[in-house]
Amino acid sequence: MALTLTCPVCGKRNGYEFRYGGEDKGPKPDDFGSSPETWCDYVHMNRCVAGIQKEWWCHRDGCGVWFTTHRDTLKNLEME
Amino acid sequence: MTDIKRRSPMVFPQEAKQVEKQGHWAVVMEYASEGEGPWIIDLSHRPRWDLQDSDLSRFKPFEIDIPGKPGQCRLENNVLANRMNRTQVSLWQLTGDRLETPEDTAFTSTMDVTVCLAILGQAVFSIAEKLSSLDFRDPALSTPRLFQGPFAHVPCQMVIAGQPDGMPGMLLTCSRGYARDMVAAILHAGHEFKLQPAGQLAFDKWVAGLA
Repeated sequence: MALTLTCPVCGKRNGYEFRYGGEDKGPKPDDFGSSPETWCDYVHMNRCVAGIQKEWWCHRDGCGVWFTTHRDTLKNLEME
Repeated sequence: MTDIKRRSPMVFPQEAKQVEKQGHWAVVMEYASEGEGPWIIDLSHRPRWDLQDSDLSRFKPFEIDIPGKPGQCRLENNVLANRMNRTQVSLWQLTGDRLETPEDTAFTSTMDVTVCLAILGQAVFSIAEKLSSLDFRDPALSTPRLFQGPFAHVPCQMVIAGQPDGMPGMLLTCSRGYARDMVAAILHAGHEFKLQPAGQLAFDKWVAGLA
C-alpha cells in the first residue's frame, strides 16, 4: 500500500509529494553551554523506532509547509 | 541603448493573426484559427510576485486584502492573490497596465522564473484529470481556489476559477524550465477535446466575465 500523508494545508496527499525530514527529536539543545557530545547525539543519533514514530515532513511538491506526523514504520502508514 | 527582448518559454506552432508589443514582450493577441475552445493561453508575460513574511497581516498588496486561509484566492484590481501557506501569497496580475514591483523586500518578482498559462473551456476538468490526481471539482470548495501539487508530475500552483454559469478555467504556474514539456503534455491530453492555442484577447474576455 502506498504511503499517503496529511498535509495541514492541502489535506491527504500521495507520499511522493513529500520530503522526509527525520525523526522529531524535540527542541534542539541550548546554543550556548551544550557539550559537543550533546550536539553530536542530537544531530546524528536516531532512535529508529520499529513502530509508531513522530516525524518531520515537508510538502515539497505542494504548499511547502513543514509539519510533524506519526507514522507506523513497520507498515509505512500514517496514523490517523 | 540596447533594446531588451523578453521571450516566453511557451511556443505554439499556430500562425499568429495579431501580435502586440507589451513592455519588452511580443504578445500574441489572437491566432489565425482559435476554434470554439477549449483553449490554452500563454500568460507568461503577465507580472507575478511572491510575497513572503512571517506577519502577512501588515501587508495590503495593490490594495487587496490578503485571503485569510491557505487555498483561498481573491481577485481585485486586476490582481489575483492566492494564499499559499501561513507566510506566503502569490500575486498574479491578470489584466491591465503593468504594475511595478513594490519596494518592500518581502516581494519577489517571479515573472522571469515561472511560466504561466491558462486552460479555458468546458473540457478543462476532463483535460486536468488526465494529468493530475488532484480533485479540482471538490464541491466543498468555492472558486476561485488555489491548488498546490503535481500536474503532469511537475510541482505547480493552479487556480480554478469560472464565470457564474459560464466557462470554467484553470490558471497554472510552474518553473520556467518545464514550459515546453508542460505545453506538450497539456496539448496531448487536450487533443481529443480539440484544445487549441488562443491569444490574450480570449483571456481578457474571460477575465472580464469573472467579476
